[in-house]
Amino acid sequence: MATNIIPASPYALTAGQAEALAQRQVKKHHVAIVLLHWFNAFVWLMELATGSAIVVSPSFAFMPHWYLVMMESIFGSRANLLRVHMAVGLTWIAVFIVYAVFGWRDYLHTEVLKKEIGLDADDFRWLRIRLLRLVGLTSEALPPQGAYNAGQKLYAVMVYAMVPLIMVTGLIMTFHLFSTSMVQWSMVLHFLAAGMVVSGLMIHVYMGAVFPEERPAFYSMITGMVNELYAFRHHYKWWREVKMQQADWEQTISAEEDRSHDTLETGNESKPEAGAANGAR
Amino acid sequence: MARYAMVIDQERCVGCQSCTVACKSEWDVPIGFARTRVRPAGLLGTYPNFTSAFFVAQCNQCERPSCIPACPTGATWQDANGAVRVNRDLCIGCGSCVAACPYGARYVNPDRGVVDKCDFCAPRLEHGLEPACVATCPAKAKVFGDIEDPGSEVFRLVYRAGAKRMETADIAIGPNVYYTGKREHLEMAAASFAPTPPRTVAAALVWTRLAKKLVYLAVGATFLGQAGAFFRQLSVGEKQFDE
Repeated sequence: MATNIIPASPYALTAGQAEALAQRQVKKHHVAIVLLHWFNAFVWLMELATGSAIVVSPSFAFMPHWYLVMMESIFGSRANLLRVHMAVGLTWIAVFIVYAVFGWRDYLHTEVLKKEIGLDADDFRWLRIRLLRLVGLTSEALPPQGAYNAGQKLYAVMVYAMVPLIMVTGLIMTFHLFSTSMVQWSMVLHFLAAGMVVSGLMIHVYMGAVFPEERPAFYSMITGMVNELYAFRHHYKWWREVKMQQADWEQTISAEEDRSHDTLETGNESKPEAGAANGAR
Repeated sequence: MARYAMVIDQERCVGCQSCTVACKSEWDVPIGFARTRVRPAGLLGTYPNFTSAFFVAQCNQCERPSCIPACPTGATWQDANGAVRVNRDLCIGCGSCVAACPYGARYVNPDRGVVDKCDFCAPRLEHGLEPACVATCPAKAKVFGDIEDPGSEVFRLVYRAGAKRMETADIAIGPNVYYTGKREHLEMAAASFAPTPPRTVAAALVWTRLAKKLVYLAVGATFLGQAGAFFRQLSVGEKQFDE
């Protein structure tokens, strides 16, 4: 392992180094994940718009009356709203089943989850400093982060807990499963879980689309790539890992090349050795 | 617009269940459930001069229904003619309305997974027919018509002959099914089949008292925090990461 090549914590960059890093791109997201992300964005937009307009009874409704009327007019009827809500939701579940099957090893395996969305000591420090910086109470440097920063990790933990809940309760209501009390409680859980995700989703969208420092993260959800300077500054631990993997790989390749080179040159000498070994036995 | 009501003459009812059968076949009501049913209320008179008393129970198409506010999706609604109806495309089968009905007039249809109830045979009315139970009753114990029409039989029975609603002092939500018959018969029926207080299911209470507030709080707090951060961003000025 080429562990000694890159320092474990971020170091000061010279202007030249920074310039060189800024010129290089490194792959952050697989194209399937980019597509899944925007599919997911579309689903959430549709499901929130229609779902919030289905609940109309005055004591249950949580959106203003004009919104309920507007959505009913746009979709023609409340029954249509419900149909669209269920159709998009079922499609969403189908797509995520495909994702779970094909992406299990790369994205959903316990080891991967622990590393990608489990929070470590750096992450908790990051959260504290990030919040203080946001309100202007400190200018302390943020601790190095992995592929996802602590904010993204926290959001991911919640989403990973809430999404299966939303899917299961949605299925119970769509197909009137089990008993009436299961349907009743599914409504409450579906609403609560979606509400919690929305409160995080607002930060997710703000950070991705509005917050200037994270702009490259937004573009990475289109191109799949980030420039290395951003990776160095915002996801140092991940950047270091990628670089070390590259270094390892390069070392292995050159070692392979050396060995094949050796074998060619010393090809004749290896035969007697083998023979000697046989003779010894 | 007509305002429909029904008057049931308890004295005429012989408990033959023709109305129950007509209704079940008209609306494919599964075994074990009914939109309307004839229930035995006891015996009237003393031996050897007594008769069986019956009570016909169905949806009362109340004027202030407790089932409508209980329905979260608005699947239960009231027609302009007073009939309380269920939109099957909107019903998710949560059964909140079943608990809210003081008359036990609703059930969750196990074949469809959604709620079903008497709606005065609304589709038949649209075709100019009487409700199936009224058309089929051999004793003519069920009278159906427009209670706002002074020339109608129901108007006469309710306002002249004194047909009574099945309601109590506490639970009076304006039922539009009236009953006539001997006083002791009606009293006997009231003893067994008086309306029970509407129930609100626990999940609905959690929704209205807790879940809604929690979601408002979570989303509101995030929004405010974010708005603060955004205005700070505007006042400090934008700094791209690589500058």
